[in-house]
Amino acid sequence: MFAQLARRAARPAATAAAAARRQFADAAPAAGLMKLNFNLPQETLYDSVNVKSVIVPGATGEYEVTADHVPIVAEMKAGMLTINHEDGEEEKYFVAGGFSLTHEGSATDIVCPEAVKLDDIDGAAVTKNFEAAKAKAASAEAGSIEAAEAMIEVETNRSMGNALGMAMA
Amino acid sequence: MLPRIAQHATRAAARAAPRSVIARGMATEKQIWNQIQSTKNIQKITSSMKMVSAAKLKGDEGRRMTAISFNNWADALNGPPQVVEDATFEELPQRSLIVTLQSDKGLCGGINSFITKSVKNCVAALQKQGKEADIAVIGDKGRGQLRRAYPELIQVSMTEVMSPGNFTLASALASELIAAGAGDYDAVVLMYNSFKNAATYTQMYKVIKPFSGEGEDEPLLAYEFEPDTKSEVLTDLQEYLLTSQIYHSWMDGAAAEQGSRMTAMENASKNAGELIGSLTLKYNRARQARITTELIEIISGASALED
Repeated sequence: MFAQLARRAARPAATAAAAARRQFADAAPAAGLMKLNFNLPQETLYDSVNVKSVIVPGATGEYEVTADHVPIVAEMKAGMLTINHEDGEEEKYFVAGGFSLTHEGSATDIVCPEAVKLDDIDGAAVTKNFEAAKAKAASAEAGSIEAAEAMIEVETNRSMGNALGMAMA
Repeated sequence: MLPRIAQHATRAAARAAPRSVIARGMATEKQIWNQIQSTKNIQKITSSMKMVSAAKLKGDEGRRMTAISFNNWADALNGPPQVVEDATFEELPQRSLIVTLQSDKGLCGGINSFITKSVKNCVAALQKQGKEADIAVIGDKGRGQLRRAYPELIQVSMTEVMSPGNFTLASALASELIAAGAGDYDAVVLMYNSFKNAATYTQMYKVIKPFSGEGEDEPLLAYEFEPDTKSEVLTDLQEYLLTSQIYHSWMDGAAAEQGSRMTAMENASKNAGELIGSLTLKYNRARQARITTELIEIISGASALED
């Protein structure tokens, strides 16, 4: 860490240029940490908070964003988003979808239409909704809009249940 | 035909004559009294509307703040909003769709007229530059105003949008716009009122261009994409960005509307108060004149008997 600081001091011009390019983060986060903006339309959950890493439920698989991650734009699927805080604490949210944008300079914007804390999800209700959605998917005409909507419902409830550690069949 | 009109005129004159005689005495007093009462009723309405707006403004300001932080990423991608005043609109591409965020309700000062004026400026500037513009209107009052100015340019109008707005409604608006062909334009321009404080707001516009270009101009070149089908992700991102921008502009506009309504209603209440003051003065004068006349009549009658 000290070595890194010294290197930074030795190249003030280079860092100034980097800072100018860095339009998303107000200040450079401390070494090994990244800045997280986690926003819902109706609530700002985290605004430029330093965290260790975030595990994002990408559409094709989960991935972990840490400090100095390459810039990436990812569409999220309904799934579990885990924030690893500076003090080592783990915080889990269930997100409904949306986008995760990681920018140059260790800043990540996560914008999703809805997110809830995993602890606030009622497992019994998820199971009930899962069964109801499955029944709806089975009864809907194949290839119809209703069938597609029911399939999304099934998938969302399944991943919600999996996030809670329940076996969903 | 002519004699009938003449007949009407004489009849009207005959009807008006006795009225003006009555109006000189007691009736003036009564008329003024009625006027005072109705002005007082209006004042009650305007001052309670002001109170309601003041209470609602708090909620609108809160929603505006969360919408601003939610929209940060979108502003970073397509640049911060511009002020309409003194704008030349030279940066706009060949074909744009101007989307106005106006209100369904009136009695809120000039917020709808200011946006209409901005649209007129913008369309005039674009036509001068030989560019095309179409209009999509959100809000009934705005539709009424713009329909008169540009009946041929309005492609779609959305009214009776529920208030307070939320993200779901914003995405419904965005899908309506996309269904109306917003994706086929070179840019979507959002025009809205931006809230400064309860008394002031400015007209701003945002230019949302689709992600396009190849090679060197490829959009978001520095970013990796997940899933790797970049064009598909970009389409989704574009729609999400439009929704986010509409959501922010809408919340900003709603706060401006509420603030403007509060100020307008405060002014209306103040004016009503002044009107009531001057009418009361007039009323008292008329009353005094009547009493004086009556007194003179009694006294002169009495003194005539004495002699």
